[in-house]
Amino acid sequence: MLLSNSSKIFVVLASLALLIAVPWIASDYFVMMCIRVMYFGMLTLSLCFLAGELGVVSLMQASFFGISGYFIAILQTRYQIPFPIPALVGIGVAVLFAALTGLLVIRARGIYFLMLTLVLGQLIWALASQWATVTRGDSGITDIFAPVIFGISTEKSKGAFYLFELFFFCAVIYFLATLKRSPFGLMLRGVRDSESRMAMLGYPVSLLRYMAFIFAAFVASIGGVFFAYFTGLINPHSVSLTTNVETLLSAILGGIQTLFGAILGTAILKVLDLVLSGITQRYLLIMGILFLLTIMFAPKGAAGALKRLWEGFASRKMGSGAPAGGASDDPFYEDTK
Amino acid sequence: MSLLVTMSLLNGLTLAALLFITASGLTLSFSLMRVVNLTHGALYMAGGFIGVSVIKVTGSWLLALLAGGVVMAILALLEEKFLLRWARGNDLIETLISLSVAIIIGDLVLVIWGGYPKTIEIPAMLSGAWTIPVINLVYPIFRIFMLGLSILIIITLWLFLKKTNLGVTIRAGVDNFEMVSSLGINVRRLFTIVFCLSGFLAGVAGVVGGTFMMLVVGEDWRILTLTLIVIIIGGMGSLVGTVVGALITGLIYSFATAYIPEFSLFILFLPVAIILSIRPHGLFGTKA
Repeated sequence: MLLSNSSKIFVVLASLALLIAVPWIASDYFVMMCIRVMYFGMLTLSLCFLAGELGVVSLMQASFFGISGYFIAILQTRYQIPFPIPALVGIGVAVLFAALTGLLVIRARGIYFLMLTLVLGQLIWALASQWATVTRGDSGITDIFAPVIFGISTEKSKGAFYLFELFFFCAVIYFLATLKRSPFGLMLRGVRDSESRMAMLGYPVSLLRYMAFIFAAFVASIGGVFFAYFTGLINPHSVSLTTNVETLLSAILGGIQTLFGAILGTAILKVLDLVLSGITQRYLLIMGILFLLTIMFAPKGAAGALKRLWEGFASRKMGSGAPAGGASDDPFYEDTK
Repeated sequence: MSLLVTMSLLNGLTLAALLFITASGLTLSFSLMRVVNLTHGALYMAGGFIGVSVIKVTGSWLLALLAGGVVMAILALLEEKFLLRWARGNDLIETLISLSVAIIIGDLVLVIWGGYPKTIEIPAMLSGAWTIPVINLVYPIFRIFMLGLSILIIITLWLFLKKTNLGVTIRAGVDNFEMVSSLGINVRRLFTIVFCLSGFLAGVAGVVGGTFMMLVVGEDWRILTLTLIVIIIGGMGSLVGTVVGALITGLIYSFATAYIPEFSLFILFLPVAIILSIRPHGLFGTKA
């Protein structure tokens, strides 16, 4: 990119100010849309993190998202436990579950990983749907109330909820961006590109992959907290394969390599969801076709297309005229410059 | 043995036979092409619903069985020829394509046949119950016929793979794909044939399964999950492993449905976890 460091900081600060100002300048409808994009965005971010840093596609991120949501619902509606505890327990259990399943899946690569996570995700879905005495089966648990923060009820004020969520959303992005840039992130990318070489150099390859899996689950479970609080209900749909595929589609639509792409893709899909749900019931069909077309014709997604556009523009301005990129069209490939 | 145990055992065996039919197709196409065809569950369900329609028009169960299989074989052919071939060589993209096709087929089935659960009517000749002599148990004749039919399909498949030229070529391709192609065998055609065979088996299984279980929306993913568990347990690409995996999965699922229905699917987490931690490639799998 051609931006200098100081102008980069300026851009970040300006967009942050704009994001904070949203509840005052935008309509309630827009605020609610942003809230949705943020919690689903965290889910997509966790998938993108795994895909980008480990080179694997997971179809069980929604399980972690749903586990934290379910624990909040059960602890709050059944046992009336006050605010921070259900959320913390939910995230804790999701991370624990990731630590358990991680032992099984980290050894798998490529399609094995995809297949294994698909199966595990489906088993969680079956549990949510069948264990009716605890999860209330397919109808799910309702009447989850958003907490009161600093004396303001985020249940009543959407703006307050937005700011509450925005804080954690930015924290998650900061966390992931730092992680990516840290030695840990570099080691992960080393593992992704050549595992045997990293192992030979003495890096604990399996441990690195395992840690990455747990971090990703952690991010997804934070998204689940806000999902449960905002919608006020949780049902098996939130851990279903449909949700997992939607997450994957968001990631691929936006471009699976970048954090920005994850958010962009989620926003695109959620707007589409809103538009389509008004006119047709064939949402799944359209989603499937969109998925197919994206995979076949634009596997690098919208962020990839934007990047190519920007690089093309930049190179023209500099007069080099050389075509940008040139990497293969594989979304899981990234040149590690 | 109590009644519940015997019933669960018999139901488990029937389910295992059904799972073997679906899983054998999947594991064949996987070991040859390195693609996990996630459309398999959708083909099962669509095949079953085709069976529903065919039996409504013609009244012949055998015709329904054939139609379900043949239509799904054609569908698999189209998928392989026009979609998967597009991304040949990139197994992850191919698998994702098959996932999207599964979603599309699943929703189309909903459009065409509606959301209500359906079963395929048991042919008059095979309806009724039969008392199994030794254990003195009344069991539907059709289920016993089903068990026999499934075993017949297994044996036919076995003979096809062991004795016919085509079967031998397929097995050779599974073992050493490069060697087979360097011997001048048309591998593209082989891929297409195996994919068709796999689709045919899924469709047949759909009609069989639709007759003794129900066809409901979401059945595609349930069957796909069970099928994947079978090949994860048994090991990818091994037919013996598929038999063992189908037996383990079928029996556990059937007993769990009887005794702990709330966890009937989730309990399968246990065998998957145990077997994968001891043998990462499944019981009979070899390192790819």
